Amino acid sequence: MNEEINPKAIVDFLKPRLGARFKTWLAICTHCGLCADTCHYYMASGNDPKMIPSYKVRFLNEILKRKGKVDRAYLQKMYDTVYYECNMCRRCTLYCPFGIDMALLVALERALLFSQGMAPEGLLAAIENYKQFGNQMAITKEDWVDTIEWCEEETAEELVGLKIPIDKKGAKIMYTVNAREPKFYPQDMMAAAKIFHVAGEDWTLPSESGWDDTNLGMFCGDVKTATMVVKNTFKRAEELGVQQVAITE
Amino acid sequence: MSFYGFVTGPLVWIAFLTFIIGTLIRAAMFFVESSKKDKVLYKHFSVKYVLATFGRWLLPLNKDLAKNPIFTILVYIFHICLIVVPIWFSGHIYLWEESRFGWYWSPIPDGLADWMTLILLAVALFFLLRRILSPDIRLISTCSDYVLLLVTALPFITGYLFTYGTLDDIAFFKNNMEIIHILSGELMLILIPFTKLSHYILFFFSRASSGIEFGRRGYSM
Repeated sequence: MNEEINPKAIVDFLKPRLGARFKTWLAICTHCGLCADTCHYYMASGNDPKMIPSYKVRFLNEILKRKGKVDRAYLQKMYDTVYYECNMCRRCTLYCPFGIDMALLVALERALLFSQGMAPEGLLAAIENYKQFGNQMAITKEDWVDTIEWCEEETAEELVGLKIPIDKKGAKIMYTVNAREPKFYPQDMMAAAKIFHVAGEDWTLPSESGWDDTNLGMFCGDVKTATMVVKNTFKRAEELGVQQVAITE
Repeated sequence: MSFYGFVTGPLVWIAFLTFIIGTLIRAAMFFVESSKKDKVLYKHFSVKYVLATFGRWLLPLNKDLAKNPIFTILVYIFHICLIVVPIWFSGHIYLWEESRFGWYWSPIPDGLADWMTLILLAVALFFLLRRILSPDIRLISTCSDYVLLLVTALPFITGYLFTYGTLDDIAFFKNNMEIIHILSGELMLILIPFTKLSHYILFFFSRASSGIEFGRRGYSM
């Protein structure tokens, strides 16, 4: 983590990503402070001025001004701000007279940090799992199908005739879950199966990757992995010819 | 050509053309760049949401009014004075009538213009004190925030002093207040496209961008 930072790499990363909206937002914020008391971090910290949303996105302007010449300590400061002092809820944007989208600016800051190899360990581990297994919990296809079958057996004891259709072509709804469900909370999947069964819905679960509807790559700006995850789901939906994709809560 | 002749002649043209062309370029830059990098705006463009978001924020119909009523109302008053006085003050209209364009439109009463000027200056002073005294706003303020507040207030200060000859006891001001007033107005016009004062036009692009998305998602626009 202490390797030299290449200013050119930082600028090359930012420049093509700064579209018209980003540039406008960075240019026109008048620092009026109306976003301050909309932020729950600001309120919860006893009105700490450092928590003002407008202040949290200052890094982008500073980095552009310095032409990317920043050190690791600077990036670390930015890291602490964009991961621990903002959860991109967008409440500040609702109150900004210009409608400046702080969440998008913070997301860009996170993506910049990811490009420099800085992201929370948990997210990095999950990203590895997505790449290898197509889901954040590193569940193999065998385990996934096995879990579904087990859920079906267990639930059918309660609701006779209940089926959890796997890869049913032409079903109306393709259901997707949070990968934590098959891993830790299969009862959630069973509850959903009961609802689908009682409601008489024509539904199915895909056996191949695409069934995990979480997208943790998005949180640290790993667009490549985030895109892959979404594409998997679309691919499964098209293969099965479903009309709708439902996602779990 | 005398300095006075320059400031009241060519520099007026330079200032207005910089302001107008600069504005057009900023708008064009937004369209060109967004057509490549912000395609989402065009994909989901909605006249309904754009007009709704403009209406809500050009008129005090937005969430800030309930949350920070005093500051919000002062901001509206500030901007109304800022736009109305320079355009509808009788002395300015007289100059337009005298000019090669010969344009005329009905002025507001001079007394009202005076009051609006004083109100604008009072609000500007409040903004300045708020920036200096509030630990929140002080932290997020940058140098340009202070400078541009001054640039915006200066034409109104000098305009008032020029109209009433308040500082005429000092020979320098007695002789030069007019030119200082004109220069301050030209400075502001020239700076608008290059600084965050450009928000007078970019406001619409920024608001529209968020309005399109927030409207579609059913959030407050």
